[in-house]
Amino acid sequence: MSSVATIVLDASNYALILLLIALGLAIIFGLMNVINLAHGEFLMLGAYTVLSIQMAGGPFWLGLIAAPLAVGLFGLVIEEVVIRRVYHRVLDTILATWGLSLLLKQSIVLVFGPGSHSIEDPISASVMIFGAPYPAYRLFIMAISLLVVTATFLFFFKTRIGLAARGVIANRNMAACLGINTRNLDRMTFSLGAALAGLAGAVIAPLISLDPHLGLGYLVPAFLAILVGGLGSIMAPVVGAAGVGVTENLAATFLSPVYAQLIVFITAVLVIRLAPGGLLGKKRRQT
Amino acid sequence: MDKPVLELDGISAGYGTGLVLQDLSLTVDRGEVLGIMGRNGVGKSTLLKTLMGLLKVRSGRLTFSGHDLTNAPSYRVAAAGVGYVPQGREVFPDFTIRQNLIMGNLKARNDDIDAAMDLFPVLRERARATGGSLSGGQQQQLAIARALIGRPALLVLDEPSEGIQPSIVREIGTTLKQVSAEKGMTIMLVEQNMDMITQCCDRVVFLEGGRIATSVPAAQLLESPALLNKYMAF
Repeated sequence: MSSVATIVLDASNYALILLLIALGLAIIFGLMNVINLAHGEFLMLGAYTVLSIQMAGGPFWLGLIAAPLAVGLFGLVIEEVVIRRVYHRVLDTILATWGLSLLLKQSIVLVFGPGSHSIEDPISASVMIFGAPYPAYRLFIMAISLLVVTATFLFFFKTRIGLAARGVIANRNMAACLGINTRNLDRMTFSLGAALAGLAGAVIAPLISLDPHLGLGYLVPAFLAILVGGLGSIMAPVVGAAGVGVTENLAATFLSPVYAQLIVFITAVLVIRLAPGGLLGKKRRQT
Repeated sequence: MDKPVLELDGISAGYGTGLVLQDLSLTVDRGEVLGIMGRNGVGKSTLLKTLMGLLKVRSGRLTFSGHDLTNAPSYRVAAAGVGYVPQGREVFPDFTIRQNLIMGNLKARNDDIDAAMDLFPVLRERARATGGSLSGGQQQQLAIARALIGRPALLVLDEPSEGIQPSIVREIGTTLKQVSAEKGMTIMLVEQNMDMITQCCDRVVFLEGGRIATSVPAAQLLESPALLNKYMAF
């Protein structure tokens, strides 16, 4: 019973982190049709923000607050300087964000070196769950992910700006013709997506070894999650992240991480083959 | 005489490399209800899309209420006071009627939503239904109410009678006429339906070859079938 609880908690933990990353990616793609290949590096920047504050002698918790703010602000600048110039040209957005991802990785190498770093465990205590000790920090990650994901959904489904954003996802031209300021929404969306990735990077930093290439390991499953869940829907990443995250984690626990990757890819290919729009996908308007 | 509310001066616009509108000039007076007619493909919808900023103006100038809106983004055109009811209605299928109306004015209060529903009572009867579950006529009424809730100074409609049963077409025509009379709203109506044109419009322009071929008082249309033969018959 105790090992089952640990396995379920670990799988949920991973799925929730993946959801945080995939949600940002899906919002940016849904609203702006931008495939952000630098999303993994936004996550990496979040983790390195925590590292910078630790190196300066600051507490982890300060880093946790600073990371989404810093990465969100960085996203705002990138949107203004790069992204807004390549809207409506999907191939160019892929190239531009890929270039940005290379630039960010090399910048981190220049500043922090190519080696790996670690972050001190902010909560070393364990909690007994069904008779087995479970790291309290992992429970904290789950709580914060749930809180942020819930807040994001409340924003999109319970506020008028959220309604406007969903309107833009459904029919960008019509929303603009009704006076919705799509320019401001683009800025806000890209910045929010970047901040979510920054937060994800910060919360997982104590669990992983920080190196300049850490983003890719999260970008790929996050992309799979939104493809499996379905494009053009804000709910889809929930289904996708749960599916991809839980499958990968369970397979890694019972078989091996290599088989886990294999199983996730094969399952994703099958789902996309059988339901090209994803599990919750809708036909997107060609605008 | 007041300055015209809308001035199009030598507008050229189109899709890809082709031009549909060619050096088109048109002025619309405040409070006027203008019908726009012509055969398929002469540029009626293109004219409205260009006005809304959905198509690029290649040359010429577009002025609305004294603001230069040439190549302004659509949201600025809307914010300047132009309400748009597109061909095919384009209501948000997954949003409720209420949410669709709010999309027309994010600051709308309950009074504004009530007033919009007063125009078309069927919207109140089905307030919780989603846009996609409505019939074509109901969707058209929703699209018009959604444009009106933003209190536009100019309302542009692209074939509102298309595919809609005659009784609802008449109801829409009556409402448009009433709104125009009560609020002094200027209306541009692209339409093929003669009954609607003669019911609502003060003046009609015929498009041919991407520019305005002629402009006549709407009342004159019924008396001169030759005009319709010349500009509408294939």
